[in-house]
Amino acid sequence: MLELRLVQGSLLKKVLESVKDLVTDANFDCSATGFSLQAMDSSHVALVALLLRSEGFEHYRCDRNLSMGMNLNNMSKMLKCAGNDDIITIKADDGSDTVTFMFESPTQDKIADFEMKLMDIDSEHLGIPEAEYHAIVRMPSAEFARICKDLSSIGDTVVISVTKEGVKFSTRGDIGTANIVCRQNTSVDKPEESTIIEMNEPVSLTFALRYMNSFTKATPLANSVTISLSSELPVVVEYKIAEMGYIRFYLAPKIEDDEEGMQAEAQPPPEKKAKKEPKAEAEAKSEPDD
Amino acid sequence: MADVETLGILEEVQVLVSVKLQVVSYKWLSRNFSVSSNDAKRLLQEFVEKHGSGLEVIYTLSGYLKDSPQIYHISLVSGLKLAEVKQKFGDSCSVQVYSVQVCIPNDPAALWNAEFVQAEELFDQPSTVENCLRDNRFCGVSNSFVKRNASGEPGSVSPQPSKTGLGVTASSKTAGALPAGVVPQPQKGRVQQPSPKLGLQASTVVSTDDKTAKNAPVVHAELGKPHTNKATTVPADKKKVQNEKTSSGAGGSLANLWGRASSKSKPTCPSAETATVVTSPIVTADAQISACEALDAVSSDDDGQYSRKRESNGEISRKRRVVFDFSDDEDDNENVVSLASPDPPKGQPVLNSTHETKNLAVEEKKLNFEEKKGEKLDIKKQKTTESDSRARLKVDSEAASKNINTKISSSEKIQSHVLEGLEDQHKKNQASDAAHTSPKRKKVLRTRIDERGREVTEVVWEGDAAENNNTERNAAANGVENRPSASNKGPALGSTAPSNTAGKAGIKKMAKGAGKDSKQGNILSFFKKV
Repeated sequence: MLELRLVQGSLLKKVLESVKDLVTDANFDCSATGFSLQAMDSSHVALVALLLRSEGFEHYRCDRNLSMGMNLNNMSKMLKCAGNDDIITIKADDGSDTVTFMFESPTQDKIADFEMKLMDIDSEHLGIPEAEYHAIVRMPSAEFARICKDLSSIGDTVVISVTKEGVKFSTRGDIGTANIVCRQNTSVDKPEESTIIEMNEPVSLTFALRYMNSFTKATPLANSVTISLSSELPVVVEYKIAEMGYIRFYLAPKIEDDEEGMQAEAQPPPEKKAKKEPKAEAEAKSEPDD
Repeated sequence: MADVETLGILEEVQVLVSVKLQVVSYKWLSRNFSVSSNDAKRLLQEFVEKHGSGLEVIYTLSGYLKDSPQIYHISLVSGLKLAEVKQKFGDSCSVQVYSVQVCIPNDPAALWNAEFVQAEELFDQPSTVENCLRDNRFCGVSNSFVKRNASGEPGSVSPQPSKTGLGVTASSKTAGALPAGVVPQPQKGRVQQPSPKLGLQASTVVSTDDKTAKNAPVVHAELGKPHTNKATTVPADKKKVQNEKTSSGAGGSLANLWGRASSKSKPTCPSAETATVVTSPIVTADAQISACEALDAVSSDDDGQYSRKRESNGEISRKRRVVFDFSDDEDDNENVVSLASPDPPKGQPVLNSTHETKNLAVEEKKLNFEEKKGEKLDIKKQKTTESDSRARLKVDSEAASKNINTKISSSEKIQSHVLEGLEDQHKKNQASDAAHTSPKRKKVLRTRIDERGREVTEVVWEGDAAENNNTERNAAANGVENRPSASNKGPALGSTAPSNTAGKAGIKKMAKGAGKDSKQGNILSFFKKV
């Protein structure tokens, strides 16, 4: 028997909105600690880890560990039927192949029940080791979303470099290049608007903006985002969910063969160079002794 | 040269090399600090002696090879291989520092990137401004057409970006009439001037002519004269014209881009004989292309009569291939028929002399040129596909001129170890360029690299009827084949990648997962399953 009552139902809606583009089907695991999900995207490049701790629910009953396979799109469809202020209750019976979402309006004058079929999903659970990251950047989530969105209109990948000076997001594309540097900024009145950079070592990694952009779908969940980078590890983009948990996105970096990767992205410059080469070459040869 | 000044320059070189990570070549040095090229070389030599440790040096080795003493070789060799390559040269080879840099660039083109940019800047200066390239101040080769003293009349160089080799020829003629300059012949006396060089310069002119594609007869006449000593300024100048063409093609650069992008679905495989369908995006580039086209159509009008005949021939013979093979070993060549050239270069033996090379270049140039014109006519006729062909035309001409360049150089056996890499890259580039430049058209210029690493250009005329079926099938088949090959190429060629990726979003997206050069890591390689 499982019964989870979440007063702030909108949280669950937002969680689903942020995950469903990345992952289509996933197992939700319910245990005494909380309601969690771990899933990779279909290309095994990104991983989502969601945790909603049991303390965050108004009522949390989970008799034994339960894994519920759900199609996230379908789940999202159902959750869209809930109002933003609704209280959402998730119910499932042991051995049942359905899950029930119950939406109660704040005034208790409307109660909706949605029953969704569960799926059998073979999911691989990955062990994510605790790691020391070379650099941890915390910044306003909206700012990060904006950066990713802006850069993705110019290039396909973003190079995130953290140095003493700040964190630099750069990209290159057909039309040119873009660099956005965010400096540490702790003096703001509102802590959620500050940018904090903790750096042990400078680090610079390349990521596909496509994934970054889909991570930023979680922006409504939190005012700030934490980006943890280590040169030999996937980046972690973490959004805290109220006081009750987090959603973390792991993204494997693009592995560059030196400048190869950059060149691949940097379309116009090499293009130009490619055009130059014949002439440059001719020139170089035609006047070797000048 | 004053010591103080030398020191100053050396310090600057130090900064450039170690801080700005620039490749400092003697040419760049010479132009930048207005010292003669010999001084620049000396400076670099000095620099290497003083600060050489920790830096990579590229040397110019020139002389006659032991095993082929009749050909003058110029090789660019990195410091590590210097001794090794030196062995191959005969007793008297000159060793000079070509450039210093922090590390040998992966892409050999980076070696002369800096100086090319510099040259471009110099030529971009208004024509009234004298600079070291305009008056040929530092070049080891003098040119009767260009006066060396800065006070001279700058009229000899007419860097108007807009076409008309006529203008160029005319002006160079008047310049030639100037008594100033140097006597035309004396260069011959210079022992160090390798004869192939002249050929090369001439070929440069030729290839650039190709680009401007107007002044053919006149310039050919010029070139045909064996005694014409074209010094670097002239080709360089023309090069400028060419540059501007390409950059003015920036209007059409989009088209180029798209034309290239369509290579995705194009066969790079040499055996494919049919033209393939170009994917849609070109259509959207119509406006720009037709603008360029209008320009070209006008300028090609005068050649119309000339090429019409040829073109109609082309229509009748459904399939033709032209193979330009300048290398001496052609026995293993593909089973291709060589035709369409009055005297196919195939028959040429090893090319040692300037003249042969030059003539060859001219021949070939003519060939390409005429074909090009044929194509232009085509364009006018086939309004429907004209935008496609226009886009392709551009690339074709590039390919064609490139073809000449590389051929010439290979026939001259300038075995620059550094250069080779670049050329390869180039050829491959070209191959891919040419490959995707085959839309639904009648005639296709295809460049590819055969197994011996030579560039083979084929011109294929397609019959109308059979085409569509074939193309569609091909496109489908190649669409599948091509993707992996594109990704294979990836690591080897930095510069091919862009042409592959440059393109419309659709293709890019598709290529993104698999075909990109920088590999997307897999999350599973970081986290273990539990």
